[in-house]
Amino acid sequence: MAETVQAPVEERTKDRMEEMYVNMGPQHPSTHGVLRLLLKLDGEVVLECTPYIGYLHRCHEKIGENRTYTQVIPYTDRLDYLASMYNNWGYVLAVERLFGGDIKIPERAEYIRLILGELQRIASHLIWLGTFGLDLGNFTIFMYCFREREMILDLFESVSGQRLNYSFYRIGGVALDLPDSFVSDCKAFLEWFKPRLPEYDAITTDNIIWQKRTQGLGILPKDIALSCAASGPMLRASGIKWDLRREDPYGIYNRFEFDIPVGENGDVWDRFWVRRREMEESVKIVEQALEQLPPGEVMGKVPKKLAPPPGDLYSRVESPRGELGFYLVSDGSTKPYRYKVRSPAFVNLSTLPSIAPGHLVADMVAILGSIDIVLGEVDR
Amino acid sequence: MIEQLVQRLYTLSATWDIPPLVVQLLLMVVVAVIIILFVSVSVMFLVWWERKISAHIQARFGPMRVGGWHGWAQSIADGIKLILKEDIVPQAADRIIFALAPMVVFATALTLYIIIPFGPGLIVKDLNIGVLFYISLSSLTVVGIVMAGWSSGNKYSALGALRSAAQVVSYEVPLVVSVLPVIMLAGSLRMTDIIAAQEKIWFIVPQVVAFLTFFTAALAETNRLPFDIPEAESELVAGFHVEYSGIRFAMFFMAEYANMFTVSAIAVTCFLGGWRGPALVPFLPEKFWAVFWFLTKTYFLIFVMIWLRWTLARLRVDQLMNLGWKVLLPIAFLNLGVTGVVMVLLG
Amino acid sequence: MGLTAASMTADQILQALKERFGEAVLQGDVKGGEVRVTVTPSQSVELLGFLCSLGFEYLNCLSGVDWIGQGELEVVYNLSSLQYKHKAEVNVRIPRENPVVRSVISIWKTANWHEREVYDLLGIRFEGHPDHRRILLSEDWVGHPLRKDYEDERLVRYTPA
Repeated sequence: MAETVQAPVEERTKDRMEEMYVNMGPQHPSTHGVLRLLLKLDGEVVLECTPYIGYLHRCHEKIGENRTYTQVIPYTDRLDYLASMYNNWGYVLAVERLFGGDIKIPERAEYIRLILGELQRIASHLIWLGTFGLDLGNFTIFMYCFREREMILDLFESVSGQRLNYSFYRIGGVALDLPDSFVSDCKAFLEWFKPRLPEYDAITTDNIIWQKRTQGLGILPKDIALSCAASGPMLRASGIKWDLRREDPYGIYNRFEFDIPVGENGDVWDRFWVRRREMEESVKIVEQALEQLPPGEVMGKVPKKLAPPPGDLYSRVESPRGELGFYLVSDGSTKPYRYKVRSPAFVNLSTLPSIAPGHLVADMVAILGSIDIVLGEVDR
Repeated sequence: MIEQLVQRLYTLSATWDIPPLVVQLLLMVVVAVIIILFVSVSVMFLVWWERKISAHIQARFGPMRVGGWHGWAQSIADGIKLILKEDIVPQAADRIIFALAPMVVFATALTLYIIIPFGPGLIVKDLNIGVLFYISLSSLTVVGIVMAGWSSGNKYSALGALRSAAQVVSYEVPLVVSVLPVIMLAGSLRMTDIIAAQEKIWFIVPQVVAFLTFFTAALAETNRLPFDIPEAESELVAGFHVEYSGIRFAMFFMAEYANMFTVSAIAVTCFLGGWRGPALVPFLPEKFWAVFWFLTKTYFLIFVMIWLRWTLARLRVDQLMNLGWKVLLPIAFLNLGVTGVVMVLLG
Repeated sequence: MGLTAASMTADQILQALKERFGEAVLQGDVKGGEVRVTVTPSQSVELLGFLCSLGFEYLNCLSGVDWIGQGELEVVYNLSSLQYKHKAEVNVRIPRENPVVRSVISIWKTANWHEREVYDLLGIRFEGHPDHRRILLSEDWVGHPLRKDYEDERLVRYTPA
């Protein structure tokens, strides 16, 4: 009897002596916003990691259900605020699909959407690379990345007048035509940007400390990646060649040649390397699109009263972070009956508890950084 | 000149019936004030300098406003701000130790300036155990860090303190072993003797391996990137000093930069010939050139430290330990053995 | 089984589902290459498991809809097959009064957070969920905001001009 009483007490004291709970966030420099991770530590080794989200929840879906289809567009900017163009695109595409092919998008608008979308992908990956560098303690790459991102933002500003929340895509096209100088400005930027990538490599890829801090960490095996429905670079780093731009083409992606970088081991390094190469591919796409850019209208014929026929639909695009899905239910009125966002960061973050245990706190930061979360999108 | 002045002071005091103890105390205060002034000014300069270097590495300008020319007064403004800030002690903290910790760290950093030979005769105390003094005192910093980490009552700072203790223990050994060949060559622990022994050739030439291991270990000693894991911003927020603010934080901050200077100065003394260097313009006094060369060399090493910091990423705890125990220590020992053998063979 | 989605068209998949689950498949059609079925709550996990074994190894999205007019809540599963490019949508309808469906975590791990979100915002309970807590809202929140009859004075409704 005495023994059975003794055992739990011993266990409790063992807990107190060796294991420690640490709250990482919601105020912490490396949680990329207001994410809170409850870490159970043994010394510095993470035994358990429980994410707590919702600090940035803004009832995005409820707001969406109370606005007309067009009025929702500016709200989508605030989802993934580092890739607003792409959120716009994903949303307007879902609405257009809900009309079942009644809305025709002009050629030029398709090209503009694609060019801006891919520039946005570069900008988003640049921010990712920069902040990931901060996580690993390399401040300089951060400044380099922001320098180039700033140029992309300048381009976007010349197009839409905005630098972060563009609200530029419209149901049926885009809001405005490109300014006259855009094509030459964009080409100049690409010429500037291409030699910058080897420059980044010099302080990241080729650096042995950088390699040692990323290789073999946070491995997400193929089967868990599928079961957890990881998407985007996260999934491709695990060795699954799945890119919606290729597999479920939307817009005019099937007209362009580009590679889909794939990793092998699904570790932090692979996620870094996949994103790093994706920037090159995006440059290729934009270059091809700029060559082909046709003249013409930028806004298609859209009914005055935007009320899609009743029905439901799940539409998905490949945002910089992965599969950005919109599930829309229409009841025939001008407001969506149900508006659900399947955010890639939300789903990718849910893999964290399964890949974090067994790593050091320092690696925890690298793994979290490699997932590339944006809390605006996770919490909606 | 200084010796004569001191001597005259003692004779004066004897004639005026002042006990020599008072004169001694007076001298100590004067020396301490001079050191504190020098450290403060040099730290302010270093902070500003680091910000400018890092800015130019990162394609920006750094401080440009305060004081006019390239923001030269930025550090002064920051210092005033830190002094004027509210002194916050967290509720969970152990107040006495919390207050003592920055003083321990800062005092240690200051004390080390005693043995820095700026030029012939320009050394506060030319101890016959100079190098040993440096090695023993510099590891005292970690006591202050552990005190700070533990007394803050914060898990992050506790983790930082643990890391710091582990790091200093691991890097103290290669640091000592890598400096031993120099002592063997010079045959003395005294700073001036080591400089005198480098009359023909700087020790960095025969002892380049020792220099590299010493410099790496010294980087770890001063908690500089890539070895800044005790304060690893992105992991432990700020590590051991996460709860410190205002003047207490400033003391940690100053100690870090003061230590950078000390470490570089010791490296210059042991490997780069100390104050030796040619007199570029003949009519200036010899002492001026000694100080000039000493400071130039020291600041060059500091520049290298800053350069490394803004280029490299941070090592992980276990990688840091591996590097210390499995790479640096064997290399240092091997170098020590080879030096011994060569010295015996050459007589 | 021997059957995989590779050799099957969307119509054949629908046929296989109807054969295997008979009455449980309340409704089924193929729209734009996507298999869409409505299934009874009692057979939902079996049907989804069967689809997973056919090659639908990827659960894209799991959403809930409040059909207040019919007095029902709906859970929508959007599946796809990465190998064979098929898509499927499975709907499960449950009464509003006692909304319980069975959890699919045993099939797809990703359902964990999705189901917590649906529970949080729509109040649908998932039987067999190992960690059945709110996820986006705070733990002491009252009500489930995405229900159509949810009232909050802070909510600004859309009124056409």
